[in-house]
Amino acid sequence: MPSPARRPLAVVLSDWIVAVAALLTPKAQRSDWKREWRAEIWHRWQFLWHARMWSRHEKLALVRSTLGAFQDAAWLLKSHEAFWQDVREWARSPFTCFGALGVLLLVTTMLSGGLPATRELLSARSNLLFIWIHPSGGGHDKGLPPDLVPAWERYSRQVAKVAAFQIGRAVADQPLLVTVQPEFFDVIGVKPALGTLPRQGAVVLDDRAWRSLTHANPAAAGSSLKVGGDSHKIAAVLPPNFWILSRQPTVYVVQREITKGLVFAVARPKPGVTRRQLDKELVRIAQEVCYYFLDSQLRYAAWTNVLLTPLRLFGIAVALAGLMAPLVFRFRLRAFRLAATRRTLFFIAKATLALAWVFAACLELSRSESAILLGSKDPGDGPFLVWLYILGTMGVLFWAVADQRARCRVCLRLLAFPVRVGCPGCLLLDWSGTELFCSEGHGILHVPHMAPSWDEEDERWISLDESWQGLFASGK
Amino acid sequence: MSDSAKLSHTAALILQTVENGCSYGFDIMDETGLPSGTVYPALRRMESDGLIASQWEPEKKAQAEQRPVRKYYRVTREGLHVLEQSQKRYPLLAKLTSKSRR
Repeated sequence: MPSPARRPLAVVLSDWIVAVAALLTPKAQRSDWKREWRAEIWHRWQFLWHARMWSRHEKLALVRSTLGAFQDAAWLLKSHEAFWQDVREWARSPFTCFGALGVLLLVTTMLSGGLPATRELLSARSNLLFIWIHPSGGGHDKGLPPDLVPAWERYSRQVAKVAAFQIGRAVADQPLLVTVQPEFFDVIGVKPALGTLPRQGAVVLDDRAWRSLTHANPAAAGSSLKVGGDSHKIAAVLPPNFWILSRQPTVYVVQREITKGLVFAVARPKPGVTRRQLDKELVRIAQEVCYYFLDSQLRYAAWTNVLLTPLRLFGIAVALAGLMAPLVFRFRLRAFRLAATRRTLFFIAKATLALAWVFAACLELSRSESAILLGSKDPGDGPFLVWLYILGTMGVLFWAVADQRARCRVCLRLLAFPVRVGCPGCLLLDWSGTELFCSEGHGILHVPHMAPSWDEEDERWISLDESWQGLFASGK
Repeated sequence: MSDSAKLSHTAALILQTVENGCSYGFDIMDETGLPSGTVYPALRRMESDGLIASQWEPEKKAQAEQRPVRKYYRVTREGLHVLEQSQKRYPLLAKLTSKSRR
């Protein structure tokens, strides 16, 4: 039976699979490897053809068998020492450090759905102001008498809009309850995504509460919801990514007047009004309605400031990293100014990138826990886990310094091949320590196991000239 | 191979099949029923351990028959020794593969 003139599709496909799998194989073995697989495929096809067994089933079996080429190629790659050498070299490279930090940032971005909280920082609601009392005597709850806010609304000439609100007690796994006046949403400047904003006796859900409590029911507006033991009608749902007091699910209970307990005020001053002018007027109005104790007790928090605090902390952390750089390097390499500059820039870039990750992760993964942990009910106090950020920043700076010390002073690769030298008991002449080598042969780092009190430098870097590089290169 | 006693059953089966006369990958797959992703890496491993040796057939012969050259595997002396040990360890090994191919 003569052979067919053209190769059948199954053979072409199998050859193509082999060609793709061959990309995994080490270059030195690739040609032979492909040759062997292709010969096997050809002979298989010819055998089946001449035996009149070249059926659809056999064609599929051939393609399926050829898929094993990937496993074969992967095994070759895995058992190839040069491959692991390349992996080790790649892991030591300074660029891998940047790559790993970039991946961390990317994962954080993906997990948080595009860094919404960080983006919020850049689009902060301008001139929004929170007002409350911080009693100088202490021992009192923070907040304003509830009849003060209507007085400000009526008599103030410096405030364009003001509304009172009351934050309910935070309960784990429960949405945050905030009682608000109907003007609250107008002051904040948010419009509902679903339904209409109510004037009295209904609730407004933010997007998270809408998803968790109603399972994102598009017909939720108009239905009933049991909140705090009472049944309320859902009037509206706020747009996605909107948050103002907390980033946990929040239910806003709308009441025309809040008469019980202490309240906070959110205000929007008129353009050009200074904090001093505003304070003077608000205190005067308070005194007119018989609240004489307010002088110097009113506290203001600009929303922009609250949001920019994390950015300022980030800036401080980066500046700290910049200040640490000269201390870490101690300018030992005065003779190699280029190398010293490169090391400094690498350290600052690495620390900045790592700090940016800690910053984004803390900001995105926090909700309102910081306010709870810090025992504060100040509005807008903590969308940011300050304590975690501080710990994370310290950790990053320690890591950045430790990582820098473990790198070659010239090429910035991580040092390798640790060797223990000396004798631990012989302190006078035979120093015990660990020596690490640069795989490019730029030098050796001697790290003593016990630092002597008379020697300032606990680690000693021994630079090697180019004549050593051949020796190290041959050891690869 | 220093640790011959630890040759797995699959590896021993492949070694036995090569010894029985199946000298290339697809033939071993047919005989053992093992997939190519198992057979080929096992062959490479046994070759690197010195249990089998591979050899390309003469180019001229393949050219004369207008076909691609094929790579053949055969068991080495060390491989035979290891196979003997494996047969003691896995008594059913010899029965699993036919000896009629040689």
